[in-house]
Amino acid sequence: MQDPMMLETPVDVLNYALTLEHLEHAFYRDGLQEFSADDFETAGYAGNVYEWFGIIRDHEMEHVNVITQVINDLGGEPVAEATYDFGYTDLAGFIGVAQVLENTGVSAYQGAAQFLIDEDELLTAALTIHGVEARHAAYLNGLQGESPFPDAVNPTLTPDEVLAAAGPFIIS
Amino acid sequence: MKLFHEQLLAEIVDERRRMSRRGVLTGSLKLAGGAAVALSLAAIPGTQSIRHVVAAQEMTSDLDVLNYALTLEHLEYSFYRDGIGLFTFGNDSRGQSIDTNFAAIRDHEGAHVETLTSVITELGGEPVAEATYDFGDAYTDPMAFIATAAALENTGVSAYDGAGQYISDPELLTAAGSIVAVEARHASYLNLLTGVLPFPAAFETPLTMDEVLEIAGPFIVS
Repeated sequence: MQDPMMLETPVDVLNYALTLEHLEHAFYRDGLQEFSADDFETAGYAGNVYEWFGIIRDHEMEHVNVITQVINDLGGEPVAEATYDFGYTDLAGFIGVAQVLENTGVSAYQGAAQFLIDEDELLTAALTIHGVEARHAAYLNGLQGESPFPDAVNPTLTPDEVLAAAGPFIIS
Repeated sequence: MKLFHEQLLAEIVDERRRMSRRGVLTGSLKLAGGAAVALSLAAIPGTQSIRHVVAAQEMTSDLDVLNYALTLEHLEYSFYRDGIGLFTFGNDSRGQSIDTNFAAIRDHEGAHVETLTSVITELGGEPVAEATYDFGDAYTDPMAFIATAAALENTGVSAYDGAGQYISDPELLTAAGSIVAVEARHASYLNLLTGVLPFPAAFETPLTMDEVLEIAGPFIVS
């Protein structure tokens, strides 16, 4: 059995976060090219859902840009976007994957925060992203007819657990 | 020496008396958003004294942070516990019962209060007690109830985000993270009910303790 993944340096933690933000941003960017506002409306979603997906995409892009910048500032090498296959074939599938990605993202930041415990500014920055992922997740849960807040205590995932969940989306 | 949070609470109560004498409190509470409340209170010179006590005493231990969090969780829990049932809200735009969702939020805040209380006790600290609160017209006007809930939850997220850096125990940090995520989920949903974007920015706004107390302080009577 492999040793648990260790995030030893701040750059390790940031690159872990960047790996997930790339995944999320690419997912929305490409999906919103594929599906139009009309597609959302035809599928029965309210008029603002398409627009709000665009806002979520923009948030993920800002997260990618900021984390990349910080890694550069720290003298690290930011991970690049990969090639992904999200496996959806229709809009319902796309929205289902969005829900999984955001809920996983919240748990991932939570599991990684402890590795920034000695880096006050980076920790605070990570927390401010974590909260936004939770807002996205709650919104998407509601859109899917599920509770926006299913637990009193949000589940935490280790990097290994997250990479096992996200790995199948990453082709190369 | 008085305990850190006792001194803060005493300061808040004094502040509230001064403000209500000047008749400004009622006016500021009518504003819907937490940020608007903060802005209006920041314009009042009297709040300087709250800033002063906070500046004089930073959060220096995990227990300070936990009691700060517990102060806010008590406020939230009692808000829902005492207010739920006064109104019937029906369904939201997705067909979910708003009343059921409010009950879930109340239960979450109750669980947070219990957890924080027991952790503080286990660490040998003294958990801050529930105070007496005044939520203005939130208990007579259903829209004010929702707006106050949204203000409390959005402020809660910013409070945890601002305080996280003062936690030194990794397990406590993870636990705090697992609570703040739930506050953010509540805030997202309540924004939706108030017609505000559930995720208004790409980043949360961390608030310092004095900024949070400017917003939450007026709700605390004693």
